Amino acid sequence: MQTPTIDGSAQPRLARGVRLQTDSKTGNRVLLFPEGVLELNETAQEIVSRCDGRTVAEIVQALAEEYDADPQMLGADVQETLANLQQRKLIELT
Amino acid sequence: MIAPRPYALLAEITYRCPLHCPYCSNPTQTQNDQELTTNEWTRVIREAAALGVLQIGFSGGEPLARRDLPDLVRAAREANLYTNLITSGIGLDDDRVGALRDAGLDSVQLSFQSDNTDLADEIAGARAHQRKLDAAAKIRAAGIPLSLNFVIHRRNIDRLAEMIALAESLHAERVELANVQFYGWAFLNRAALLPTREQVVRAREIATAAKARLAGKIDIFYVLPDYYENRPKPCLNGWGQRYLTVNPIGDVLPCPTASSAIPDLRFENVRARELDWIWRESESFNRFRGTEWMPEPCLSCPQREIDFGGCRCQAALLTGNAGNTDPVCELSPNRAAVDAVLREVDSLGYPSPDWTYRTNPTTLPVAATAGAARR
Repeated sequence: MQTPTIDGSAQPRLARGVRLQTDSKTGNRVLLFPEGVLELNETAQEIVSRCDGRTVAEIVQALAEEYDADPQMLGADVQETLANLQQRKLIELT
Repeated sequence: MIAPRPYALLAEITYRCPLHCPYCSNPTQTQNDQELTTNEWTRVIREAAALGVLQIGFSGGEPLARRDLPDLVRAAREANLYTNLITSGIGLDDDRVGALRDAGLDSVQLSFQSDNTDLADEIAGARAHQRKLDAAAKIRAAGIPLSLNFVIHRRNIDRLAEMIALAESLHAERVELANVQFYGWAFLNRAALLPTREQVVRAREIATAAKARLAGKIDIFYVLPDYYENRPKPCLNGWGQRYLTVNPIGDVLPCPTASSAIPDLRFENVRARELDWIWRESESFNRFRGTEWMPEPCLSCPQREIDFGGCRCQAALLTGNAGNTDPVCELSPNRAAVDAVLREVDSLGYPSPDWTYRTNPTTLPVAATAGAARR
Protein backbone atom coordinates (compact mmCIF):
# COMPACT_ATOMS: atom_id res chain seq x y z
CA MET A 1 0.00 0.00 0.00
CA GLN A 2 1.17 3.51 -0.81
CA THR A 3 1.76 5.31 2.46
CA PRO A 4 1.39 9.08 2.51
CA THR A 5 4.37 11.09 3.73
CA ILE A 6 3.98 12.44 7.24
CA ASP A 7 4.77 16.09 7.68
CA GLY A 8 7.92 16.81 9.69
CA SER A 9 6.02 19.23 11.89
CA ALA A 10 3.34 16.68 12.85
CA GLN A 11 3.30 15.58 16.49
CA PRO A 12 2.71 11.85 16.87
CA ARG A 13 1.15 10.64 20.12
CA LEU A 14 -0.25 7.33 21.28
CA ALA A 15 -3.90 7.12 20.21
CA ARG A 16 -6.60 7.13 22.83
CA GLY A 17 -6.96 3.75 24.49
CA VAL A 18 -3.44 2.65 23.55
CA ARG A 19 -0.96 1.90 26.33
CA LEU A 20 2.82 1.54 26.10
CA GLN A 21 4.00 -0.91 28.70
CA THR A 22 6.92 -3.15 29.55
CA ASP A 23 6.18 -6.85 29.20
CA SER A 24 7.38 -8.34 32.48
CA LYS A 25 7.97 -11.72 30.80
CA THR A 26 10.38 -10.43 28.15
CA GLY A 27 11.40 -6.94 29.25
CA ASN A 28 10.33 -5.68 25.80
CA ARG A 29 8.08 -2.71 25.25
CA VAL A 30 4.61 -3.55 23.95
CA LEU A 31 1.63 -1.54 22.78
CA LEU A 32 -1.66 -2.66 24.30
CA PHE A 33 -4.94 -1.76 22.62
CA PRO A 34 -8.45 -3.21 22.36
CA GLU A 35 -8.17 -6.87 21.36
CA GLY A 36 -4.47 -6.62 20.63
CA VAL A 37 -0.86 -6.64 21.74
CA LEU A 38 1.92 -5.39 19.50
CA GLU A 39 5.48 -6.29 20.44
CA LEU A 40 7.65 -3.44 19.27
CA ASN A 41 10.92 -4.14 17.54
CA GLU A 42 13.95 -2.13 18.59
CA THR A 43 13.44 0.63 16.03
CA ALA A 44 9.76 0.99 16.87
CA GLN A 45 10.52 1.07 20.62
CA GLU A 46 12.96 3.94 20.10
CA ILE A 47 10.45 5.88 18.02
CA VAL A 48 7.31 5.24 20.05
CA SER A 49 8.98 6.10 23.35
CA ARG A 50 9.66 9.55 21.88
CA CYS A 51 6.05 10.16 20.78
CA ASP A 52 5.55 12.56 23.67
CA GLY A 53 4.64 15.81 21.99
CA ARG A 54 7.80 16.15 19.92
CA THR A 55 7.49 16.66 16.18
CA VAL A 56 8.51 14.01 13.66
CA ALA A 57 11.51 16.17 12.68
CA GLU A 58 12.58 16.43 16.33
CA ILE A 59 12.29 12.68 16.81
CA VAL A 60 14.42 12.04 13.72
CA GLN A 61 17.02 14.53 14.92
CA ALA A 62 17.14 13.05 18.42
CA LEU A 63 17.60 9.54 17.04
CA ALA A 64 20.22 10.66 14.51
CA GLU A 65 22.25 12.25 17.29
CA GLU A 66 21.87 9.34 19.64
CA TYR A 67 22.86 6.70 17.07
CA ASP A 68 25.17 8.87 14.99
CA ALA A 69 23.13 7.95 11.93
CA ASP A 70 22.27 9.62 8.63
CA PRO A 71 19.09 11.66 9.27
CA GLN A 72 17.79 10.99 5.77
CA MET A 73 18.01 7.20 6.09
CA LEU A 74 16.63 7.38 9.60
CA GLY A 75 13.86 9.69 8.46
CA ALA A 76 12.59 7.05 6.05
CA ASP A 77 12.51 4.46 8.84
CA VAL A 78 10.66 6.80 11.17
CA GLN A 79 8.16 7.67 8.43
CA GLU A 80 7.50 4.05 7.66
CA THR A 81 7.06 3.04 11.30
CA LEU A 82 4.78 5.97 12.12
CA ALA A 83 2.67 5.51 8.99
CA ASN A 84 2.24 1.86 9.84
CA LEU A 85 1.21 2.63 13.43
CA GLN A 86 -1.13 5.38 12.28
CA GLN A 87 -2.86 3.07 9.80
CA ARG A 88 -3.55 0.75 12.70
CA LYS A 89 -4.83 3.65 14.79
CA LEU A 90 -2.13 3.13 17.40
CA ILE A 91 -0.77 6.65 17.06
CA GLU A 92 -2.47 9.94 16.22
CA LEU A 93 -0.89 12.91 14.48
CA THR A 94 -1.74 16.40 15.64
CA MET B 1 5.65 -30.06 25.49
CA ILE B 2 6.77 -26.63 26.71
CA ALA B 3 3.77 -24.33 27.02
CA PRO B 4 4.02 -20.87 25.43
CA ARG B 5 2.91 -17.86 27.44
CA PRO B 6 -0.68 -16.65 27.11
CA TYR B 7 -1.43 -13.06 26.12
CA ALA B 8 -5.13 -12.66 26.76
CA LEU B 9 -7.74 -13.89 29.20
CA LEU B 10 -11.40 -13.87 28.29
CA ALA B 11 -13.28 -13.58 31.57
CA GLU B 12 -16.85 -14.72 30.99
CA ILE B 13 -18.12 -13.50 34.34
CA THR B 14 -21.76 -14.48 33.88
CA TYR B 15 -23.99 -16.19 31.33
CA ARG B 16 -26.92 -13.98 32.36
CA CYS B 17 -27.97 -11.51 29.64
CA PRO B 18 -30.97 -9.22 29.10
CA LEU B 19 -30.85 -9.86 25.33
CA HIS B 20 -31.86 -12.97 23.41
CA CYS B 21 -29.74 -12.82 20.26
CA PRO B 22 -30.11 -16.03 18.26
CA TYR B 23 -26.48 -15.78 17.08
CA CYS B 24 -25.03 -15.98 20.60
CA SER B 25 -22.06 -18.33 20.89
CA ASN B 26 -22.76 -19.17 24.53
CA PRO B 27 -23.64 -22.79 25.29
CA THR B 28 -27.37 -23.53 24.95
CA GLN B 29 -27.28 -25.37 28.27
CA THR B 30 -25.67 -23.50 31.13
CA GLN B 31 -25.81 -23.46 34.89
CA ASN B 32 -25.37 -20.20 36.68
CA ASP B 33 -25.89 -20.99 40.32
CA GLN B 34 -22.19 -21.32 41.10
CA GLU B 35 -20.71 -18.16 39.59
CA LEU B 36 -17.22 -17.34 40.84
CA THR B 37 -17.15 -14.78 43.64
CA THR B 38 -15.36 -11.43 43.52
CA ASN B 39 -12.48 -12.87 45.54
CA GLU B 40 -12.18 -15.89 43.29
CA TRP B 41 -12.06 -13.70 40.17
CA THR B 42 -9.47 -11.45 41.78
CA ARG B 43 -7.27 -14.47 42.40
CA VAL B 44 -7.77 -15.69 38.81
CA ILE B 45 -6.79 -12.25 37.48
CA ARG B 46 -3.57 -12.21 39.53
CA GLU B 47 -2.70 -15.75 38.48
CA ALA B 48 -3.30 -14.84 34.84
CA ALA B 49 -1.02 -11.79 35.06
CA ALA B 50 1.71 -13.92 36.66
CA LEU B 51 1.38 -16.35 33.76
CA GLY B 52 2.11 -13.55 31.27
CA VAL B 53 -1.38 -12.40 30.34
CA LEU B 54 -1.39 -8.72 29.25
CA GLN B 55 -5.04 -8.25 28.34
CA ILE B 56 -8.36 -9.15 29.88
CA GLY B 57 -11.75 -9.03 28.19
CA PHE B 58 -14.75 -8.97 30.51
CA SER B 59 -17.51 -10.75 28.69
CA GLY B 60 -20.45 -13.06 29.23
CA GLY B 61 -23.45 -13.11 28.94
CA GLU B 62 -23.71 -9.48 29.87
CA PRO B 63 -20.87 -8.59 32.26
CA LEU B 64 -22.80 -5.55 33.54
CA ALA B 65 -25.20 -8.04 35.13
CA ARG B 66 -22.55 -8.39 37.85
CA ARG B 67 -22.52 -5.50 40.31
CA ASP B 68 -18.87 -6.14 41.19
CA LEU B 69 -17.62 -5.42 37.66
CA PRO B 70 -15.79 -2.19 38.69
CA ASP B 71 -14.01 -4.15 41.45
CA LEU B 72 -12.85 -6.72 38.92
CA VAL B 73 -11.67 -4.00 36.51
CA ARG B 74 -9.73 -2.39 39.35
CA ALA B 75 -8.13 -5.73 40.25
CA ALA B 76 -7.10 -6.19 36.62
CA ARG B 77 -5.58 -2.72 36.40
CA GLU B 78 -3.69 -3.33 39.62
CA ALA B 79 -2.28 -6.45 37.94
CA ASN B 80 -1.20 -4.18 35.03
CA LEU B 81 -3.64 -5.75 32.54
CA TYR B 82 -5.26 -3.91 29.66
CA THR B 83 -8.99 -4.02 30.41
CA ASN B 84 -11.70 -4.28 27.78
CA LEU B 85 -15.42 -4.51 28.49
CA ILE B 86 -17.41 -6.49 25.92
CA THR B 87 -21.01 -5.44 26.45
CA SER B 88 -24.50 -4.99 25.04
CA GLY B 89 -24.59 -1.65 26.83
CA ILE B 90 -27.82 -2.56 28.62
CA GLY B 91 -27.50 -1.36 32.20
CA LEU B 92 -24.77 1.16 31.48
CA ASP B 93 -26.12 4.24 33.26
CA ASP B 94 -24.09 7.34 34.23
CA ASP B 95 -23.14 5.94 37.64
CA ARG B 96 -21.79 2.72 36.22
CA VAL B 97 -19.86 4.41 33.42
CA GLY B 98 -18.29 6.67 36.03
CA ALA B 99 -17.45 3.76 38.33
CA LEU B 100 -15.87 1.81 35.47
CA ARG B 101 -13.86 4.80 34.29
CA ASP B 102 -12.65 5.45 37.84
CA ALA B 103 -11.66 1.80 38.12
CA GLY B 104 -9.39 2.34 35.10
CA LEU B 105 -11.33 0.65 32.30
CA ASP B 106 -9.27 1.01 29.12
CA SER B 107 -11.83 0.34 26.42
CA VAL B 108 -15.40 -0.69 25.69
CA GLN B 109 -16.61 -2.91 22.88
CA LEU B 110 -20.30 -2.27 22.38
CA SER B 111 -22.42 -4.68 20.38
CA PHE B 112 -25.10 -3.61 17.92
CA GLN B 113 -27.52 -5.85 16.04
CA SER B 114 -28.20 -3.44 13.16
CA ASP B 115 -28.31 0.28 12.40
CA ASN B 116 -32.09 0.05 12.10
CA THR B 117 -34.05 0.15 15.36
CA ASP B 118 -36.85 -2.24 14.41
CA LEU B 119 -34.54 -4.84 12.92
CA ALA B 120 -32.04 -4.50 15.78
CA ASP B 121 -34.73 -4.97 18.41
CA GLU B 122 -36.16 -7.92 16.55
CA ILE B 123 -32.77 -9.63 16.45
CA ALA B 124 -32.05 -8.87 20.12
CA GLY B 125 -35.52 -10.02 21.15
CA ALA B 126 -35.76 -6.86 23.28
CA ARG B 127 -36.12 -3.10 22.95
CA ALA B 128 -32.42 -2.47 23.14
CA HIS B 129 -31.25 -0.35 20.21
CA GLN B 130 -32.04 3.09 21.63
CA ARG B 131 -30.47 2.13 24.95
CA LYS B 132 -27.30 1.12 23.09
CA LEU B 133 -27.18 4.49 21.34
CA ASP B 134 -27.50 6.14 24.76
CA ALA B 135 -24.76 3.90 26.14
CA ALA B 136 -22.46 4.84 23.26
CA ALA B 137 -22.94 8.53 24.05
CA LYS B 138 -22.17 7.95 27.74
CA ILE B 139 -19.02 6.01 26.91
CA ARG B 140 -17.81 8.78 24.60
CA ALA B 141 -18.67 11.46 27.18
CA ALA B 142 -16.59 9.59 29.77
CA GLY B 143 -13.64 9.63 27.38
CA ILE B 144 -13.39 5.85 27.12
CA PRO B 145 -12.35 4.53 23.67
CA LEU B 146 -15.25 2.86 21.90
CA SER B 147 -15.26 -0.14 19.59
CA LEU B 148 -18.42 -1.38 17.95
CA ASN B 149 -19.17 -4.99 17.20
CA PHE B 150 -21.73 -6.16 14.69
CA VAL B 151 -22.38 -9.85 14.29
CA ILE B 152 -23.28 -10.24 10.62
CA HIS B 153 -25.81 -12.80 9.45
CA ARG B 154 -28.44 -13.40 6.84
CA ARG B 155 -30.97 -10.97 8.27
CA ASN B 156 -28.67 -7.92 8.63
CA ILE B 157 -25.81 -8.47 6.17
CA ASP B 158 -27.52 -6.40 3.44
CA ARG B 159 -27.25 -3.34 5.72
CA LEU B 160 -23.49 -3.52 6.15
CA ALA B 161 -22.88 -0.07 4.61
CA GLU B 162 -25.49 1.50 6.93
CA MET B 163 -23.97 -0.25 9.96
CA ILE B 164 -20.54 1.14 9.09
CA ALA B 165 -22.15 4.58 8.76
CA LEU B 166 -23.59 4.17 12.27
CA ALA B 167 -20.11 3.45 13.59
CA GLU B 168 -18.85 6.63 11.92
CA SER B 169 -21.64 8.72 13.39
CA LEU B 170 -20.94 7.36 16.88
CA HIS B 171 -17.22 8.21 16.49
CA ALA B 172 -16.10 4.68 17.19
CA GLU B 173 -12.36 4.05 17.04
CA ARG B 174 -12.77 0.45 15.90
CA VAL B 175 -15.44 -1.64 14.28
CA GLU B 176 -15.59 -5.38 14.22
CA LEU B 177 -17.76 -6.72 11.41
CA ALA B 178 -17.97 -10.32 12.47
CA ASN B 179 -19.64 -12.79 10.19
CA VAL B 180 -21.48 -15.14 12.52
CA GLN B 181 -19.51 -18.21 13.56
CA PHE B 182 -21.56 -21.28 14.28
CA TYR B 183 -21.29 -22.33 17.91
CA GLY B 184 -23.79 -22.50 20.76
CA TRP B 185 -27.08 -20.79 19.90
CA ALA B 186 -25.74 -19.80 16.49
CA PHE B 187 -25.13 -23.45 15.61
CA LEU B 188 -28.70 -24.22 16.62
CA ASN B 189 -29.93 -21.36 14.40
CA ARG B 190 -27.55 -21.92 11.52
CA ALA B 191 -30.21 -22.34 8.82
CA ALA B 192 -31.71 -18.96 9.71
CA LEU B 193 -28.40 -17.13 10.10
CA LEU B 194 -26.10 -18.34 7.33
CA PRO B 195 -26.00 -15.74 4.54
CA THR B 196 -26.17 -16.70 0.87
CA ARG B 197 -23.03 -16.66 -1.27
CA GLU B 198 -24.35 -13.61 -3.12
CA GLN B 199 -24.76 -11.73 0.15
CA VAL B 200 -21.27 -12.71 1.31
CA VAL B 201 -19.60 -11.53 -1.91
CA ARG B 202 -21.32 -8.15 -1.73
CA ALA B 203 -20.57 -7.69 1.96
CA ARG B 204 -16.90 -8.39 1.39
CA GLU B 205 -16.74 -5.68 -1.28
CA ILE B 206 -18.42 -3.17 1.03
CA ALA B 207 -16.13 -4.03 3.96
CA THR B 208 -12.99 -3.84 1.81
CA ALA B 209 -13.96 -0.44 0.38
CA ALA B 210 -14.85 0.91 3.84
CA LYS B 211 -11.58 -0.33 5.28
CA ALA B 212 -9.63 1.59 2.65
CA ARG B 213 -11.80 4.70 2.92
CA LEU B 214 -11.62 4.86 6.73
CA ALA B 215 -7.95 3.87 7.17
CA GLY B 216 -6.41 5.90 9.98
CA LYS B 217 -9.87 7.01 11.11
CA ILE B 218 -11.72 3.84 12.04
CA ASP B 219 -9.93 0.52 12.27
CA ILE B 220 -12.21 -2.03 10.58
CA PHE B 221 -11.78 -5.67 11.40
CA TYR B 222 -13.69 -8.05 9.16
CA VAL B 223 -14.23 -11.59 10.42
CA LEU B 224 -14.57 -13.92 7.44
CA PRO B 225 -17.61 -16.13 6.90
CA ASP B 226 -15.55 -19.29 7.18
CA TYR B 227 -18.06 -21.73 5.66
CA TYR B 228 -17.51 -19.85 2.38
CA GLU B 229 -13.72 -19.99 2.59
CA ASN B 230 -11.49 -22.67 1.09
CA ARG B 231 -9.08 -22.79 4.00
CA PRO B 232 -9.90 -22.73 7.70
CA LYS B 233 -9.43 -19.83 10.08
CA PRO B 234 -6.30 -19.89 12.27
CA CYS B 235 -8.52 -20.47 15.29
CA LEU B 236 -7.08 -18.93 18.50
CA ASN B 237 -3.69 -18.72 16.75
CA GLY B 238 -3.40 -22.33 17.78
CA TRP B 239 -4.91 -24.23 20.69
CA GLY B 240 -3.39 -23.27 24.04
CA GLN B 241 -0.96 -20.80 22.41
CA ARG B 242 -2.13 -17.27 23.22
CA TYR B 243 -5.59 -17.32 24.74
CA LEU B 244 -7.49 -18.77 27.64
CA THR B 245 -11.06 -18.39 28.79
CA VAL B 246 -12.49 -18.74 32.28
CA ASN B 247 -16.25 -19.25 32.25
CA PRO B 248 -18.75 -18.10 34.91
CA ILE B 249 -18.38 -21.21 37.06
CA GLY B 250 -14.57 -21.23 36.86
CA ASP B 251 -13.92 -23.82 34.18
CA VAL B 252 -10.77 -22.94 32.25
CA LEU B 253 -11.18 -23.36 28.51
CA PRO B 254 -8.72 -23.11 25.61
CA CYS B 255 -11.66 -21.61 23.69
CA PRO B 256 -14.98 -20.20 24.96
CA THR B 257 -17.05 -22.61 22.90
CA ALA B 258 -15.07 -25.74 23.76
CA SER B 259 -17.11 -26.72 26.81
CA SER B 260 -20.24 -27.31 24.74
CA ALA B 261 -18.68 -28.27 21.41
CA ILE B 262 -16.21 -30.85 22.74
CA PRO B 263 -18.06 -32.74 25.48
CA ASP B 264 -15.47 -35.52 25.75
CA LEU B 265 -12.75 -33.13 26.88
CA ARG B 266 -12.50 -32.69 30.65
CA PHE B 267 -11.91 -29.10 31.71
CA GLU B 268 -10.22 -28.04 34.92
CA ASN B 269 -11.69 -25.55 37.37
CA VAL B 270 -9.95 -22.65 39.12
CA ARG B 271 -11.56 -23.71 42.39
CA ALA B 272 -9.51 -26.91 42.31
CA ARG B 273 -6.32 -25.96 40.48
CA GLU B 274 -4.03 -23.00 39.91
CA LEU B 275 -4.21 -21.36 36.51
CA ASP B 276 -0.50 -21.95 35.89
CA TRP B 277 -0.91 -25.73 36.23
CA ILE B 278 -4.04 -25.77 34.10
CA TRP B 279 -2.33 -23.81 31.31
CA ARG B 280 0.87 -25.85 31.32
CA GLU B 281 -0.09 -29.32 32.41
CA SER B 282 -3.78 -30.04 31.89
CA GLU B 283 -4.91 -32.56 29.34
CA SER B 284 -7.46 -30.13 27.90
CA PHE B 285 -4.81 -27.51 27.04
CA ASN B 286 -2.28 -30.04 25.76
CA ARG B 287 -4.57 -32.21 23.65
CA PHE B 288 -4.35 -30.02 20.54
CA ARG B 289 -1.25 -27.97 21.31
CA GLY B 290 1.38 -27.76 18.57
CA THR B 291 1.20 -30.04 15.53
CA GLU B 292 1.78 -33.55 16.87
CA TRP B 293 -1.93 -34.29 17.35
CA MET B 294 -2.71 -33.53 13.71
CA PRO B 295 -4.14 -36.05 11.28
CA GLU B 296 -3.48 -35.90 7.57
CA PRO B 297 -3.93 -33.80 5.47
CA CYS B 298 -2.82 -31.32 8.20
CA LEU B 299 0.28 -33.10 9.47
CA SER B 300 2.23 -32.77 6.22
CA CYS B 301 0.53 -29.55 5.10
CA PRO B 302 2.76 -26.49 4.53
CA GLN B 303 -0.03 -24.41 6.10
CA ARG B 304 -0.06 -26.34 9.38
CA GLU B 305 1.67 -23.59 11.36
CA ILE B 306 -0.42 -20.91 9.64
CA ASP B 307 -3.98 -22.16 10.18
CA PHE B 308 -3.24 -24.83 12.82
CA GLY B 309 -5.76 -27.18 11.21
CA GLY B 310 -8.56 -24.68 11.82
CA CYS B 311 -11.08 -24.86 14.62
CA ARG B 312 -11.33 -27.84 16.98
CA CYS B 313 -14.88 -26.96 18.00
CA GLN B 314 -15.99 -26.80 14.37
CA ALA B 315 -14.39 -30.16 13.66
CA ALA B 316 -16.26 -31.61 16.65
CA LEU B 317 -19.61 -30.06 15.70
CA LEU B 318 -19.48 -31.00 12.01
CA THR B 319 -17.57 -34.30 12.01
CA GLY B 320 -18.10 -35.61 15.54
CA ASN B 321 -14.35 -35.61 16.24
CA ALA B 322 -12.47 -32.56 17.53
CA GLY B 323 -9.22 -34.11 16.29
CA ASN B 324 -10.22 -33.96 12.62
CA THR B 325 -9.15 -31.30 10.14
CA ASP B 326 -11.59 -28.38 10.23
CA PRO B 327 -14.08 -29.43 7.50
CA VAL B 328 -14.04 -25.89 6.09
CA CYS B 329 -10.68 -26.81 4.55
CA GLU B 330 -10.97 -27.85 0.90
CA LEU B 331 -8.44 -30.62 1.63
CA SER B 332 -10.55 -32.09 4.43
CA PRO B 333 -12.21 -35.42 3.65
CA ASN B 334 -15.28 -33.94 5.38
CA ARG B 335 -15.64 -30.75 3.29
CA ALA B 336 -18.83 -32.23 1.83
CA ALA B 337 -20.53 -31.62 5.20
CA VAL B 338 -19.99 -27.85 4.81
CA ASP B 339 -20.97 -27.83 1.13
CA ALA B 340 -24.22 -29.60 1.99
CA VAL B 341 -25.09 -26.81 4.44
CA LEU B 342 -24.30 -24.14 1.84
CA ARG B 343 -26.47 -25.90 -0.77
CA GLU B 344 -29.31 -26.09 1.72
CA VAL B 345 -29.14 -22.35 2.36
CA ASP B 346 -29.17 -21.58 -1.35
CA SER B 347 -32.31 -23.67 -1.75
CA LEU B 348 -34.15 -22.05 1.17
CA GLY B 349 -34.97 -18.74 -0.50
CA TYR B 350 -36.90 -16.03 1.36
CA PRO B 351 -38.13 -15.48 3.95
CA SER B 352 -35.36 -17.11 5.93
CA PRO B 353 -36.39 -19.75 8.45
CA ASP B 354 -37.37 -18.86 12.00
CA TRP B 355 -34.80 -18.91 14.74
CA THR B 356 -34.82 -19.81 18.41
CA TYR B 357 -34.06 -16.93 20.72
CA ARG B 358 -31.34 -17.34 23.32
CA THR B 359 -32.67 -17.86 26.82
CA ASN B 360 -30.98 -17.35 30.15
CA PRO B 361 -29.41 -20.05 32.30
CA THR B 362 -31.65 -22.26 34.41
CA THR B 363 -34.71 -21.46 32.30
CA LEU B 364 -35.83 -23.88 29.62
CA PRO B 365 -35.33 -22.76 26.01
CA VAL B 366 -38.57 -21.33 24.64
CA ALA B 367 -39.08 -21.65 20.91
CA ALA B 368 -39.92 -18.13 19.82
CA THR B 369 -39.81 -17.16 16.19
CA ALA B 370 -38.71 -14.12 14.27
CA GLY B 371 -42.19 -14.02 12.81
CA ALA B 372 -43.78 -13.91 16.24
CA ALA B 373 -41.52 -11.05 17.28
CA ARG B 374 -42.61 -9.01 14.28
CA ARG B 375 -46.27 -9.21 15.21
